[in-house]
Amino acid sequence: MLEVKNLYCSYGSMEVLKNVDFKVDNGEVVAVIGSSGSGKTTLLRCLSFLNKANSGTIIFDDFKKDITRLKKNDIMKLRSKMGYVFQDFNLFRNMTVRQNILEGLVTARKMDPTEAWKIVNEMLEKVGMSHRAEYYPAQLSGGQQQRAAIARALAYNPEIILFDEPTSALDPELTREVLAVMKRLAKEGTTMVVVTHEMSFAQEVAGRVIFMENGVVVEEGRSSEFFTSPKEESTRRFLRLSMQEQDYVI
Amino acid sequence: MNERLLGILVNSFPRLLLYLFKVTIPLTVSIFTISVILAFILALIQVLDIRVLKTLTRIYVWVFRGTPLIVQMYIIFYGLPSLGISLNAFPSAVIAFSMNYAAYMSETIRAAIQSVPQGQIEAGYMIGLTYGQIMRRIVIPQAARVAFPTMFGSLIGLTKDSSLAASITVVEMFKTAQQIASKYFEPFALYCEAAVIYLMLNTVLTLLQAFLERKLTWKQPKEESEKIPALQADTE
Repeated sequence: MLEVKNLYCSYGSMEVLKNVDFKVDNGEVVAVIGSSGSGKTTLLRCLSFLNKANSGTIIFDDFKKDITRLKKNDIMKLRSKMGYVFQDFNLFRNMTVRQNILEGLVTARKMDPTEAWKIVNEMLEKVGMSHRAEYYPAQLSGGQQQRAAIARALAYNPEIILFDEPTSALDPELTREVLAVMKRLAKEGTTMVVVTHEMSFAQEVAGRVIFMENGVVVEEGRSSEFFTSPKEESTRRFLRLSMQEQDYVI
Repeated sequence: MNERLLGILVNSFPRLLLYLFKVTIPLTVSIFTISVILAFILALIQVLDIRVLKTLTRIYVWVFRGTPLIVQMYIIFYGLPSLGISLNAFPSAVIAFSMNYAAYMSETIRAAIQSVPQGQIEAGYMIGLTYGQIMRRIVIPQAARVAFPTMFGSLIGLTKDSSLAASITVVEMFKTAQQIASKYFEPFALYCEAAVIYLMLNTVLTLLQAFLERKLTWKQPKEESEKIPALQADTE
């Protein structure tokens, strides 16, 4: 469904992505893992055009184009099919949870307000935030903010949702409530790309795992095999370290 | 206090109030309105990075912040007639003040707009808003909240600074106090009276600011009994 080929991105002389090929199929949940600075967040930001790539081809269903040659309209159209969940939530601070979700429907998509209202209620229900609809972001816990942000991304029914380390800013308890929502979405067949440090989530929920290091995809595979029998030495090292860390937490 | 002095103070009070409402406040309100609009345009030009206009804006800010207000007023009121442009005292004061205040305020507004985190803008793009919609609905409302205290401070400053207009013959409250003072040879009492009236006006404005700031926060009173429901998303 969504695919990039030969994605190259650098900040000045620093190469962040070195000709990455990446593909997501409909209904798939893909986890992208790797240490900080490996380029996984940049990959997500290039996919959503928040970062400019230096070269590469983007394919979305039957749309195919050089990623550096996209027009404003192309970007708007492609983005309208994507949801994006940020590490630090980025709920609009001047709006309540309800207004945050309405914004993408009524302002951006000119939807009828009564209909949009219904959708908002449905989404709030889905992420367990109905009781906080009229609250402003500053009044909510991180976990609640992130669940509201997920509802905002879900509301306009995107074909794919990109999660950029959605739980990295949260403590373990709040992480659990956000992951629970994401698990449910995965079960419902939502297409998701999740950049994450949560190995157990990747193992449990993702169908496919991609391991990145220094701007390249080192290894990828079905999550059932990936965690039990990693092929590359660097993957093994990374998994060993991440799993150890989790043991410490427990 | 002797009776004569008390009589002068009591009798001059309504007169000073009259000029407060007739001249000082209209002067302040028109300057503030014009300079906020002008400052907003100047700030937007810089934020939107419109090339040639941006340079002109920087020059404008440089000149009007770098020269004294009273000199600007003198140039407009006493200087321009020699170029064939004669303005009355009141509009001269309004123009000089507005241009000067706009230069300062544009910096406040620009800084406030730039203080809105990039993430807010990115989130706007991702839900499908256009740049214009993001500015109107997210960035400017948030920037307004940030700029508000400083802008209100400028308003309070302006009520007092407006007395400078007396120097180009605008008869506002301070000038009126001056006239009465020289008529009765009671400068100390009259200037103190004027000072008290300015203080009264700004006490009202300060209270108004506190009230408006409470109204402007993006918060609603939380009910005490409500607590964060524990892991309610976990119940599957």
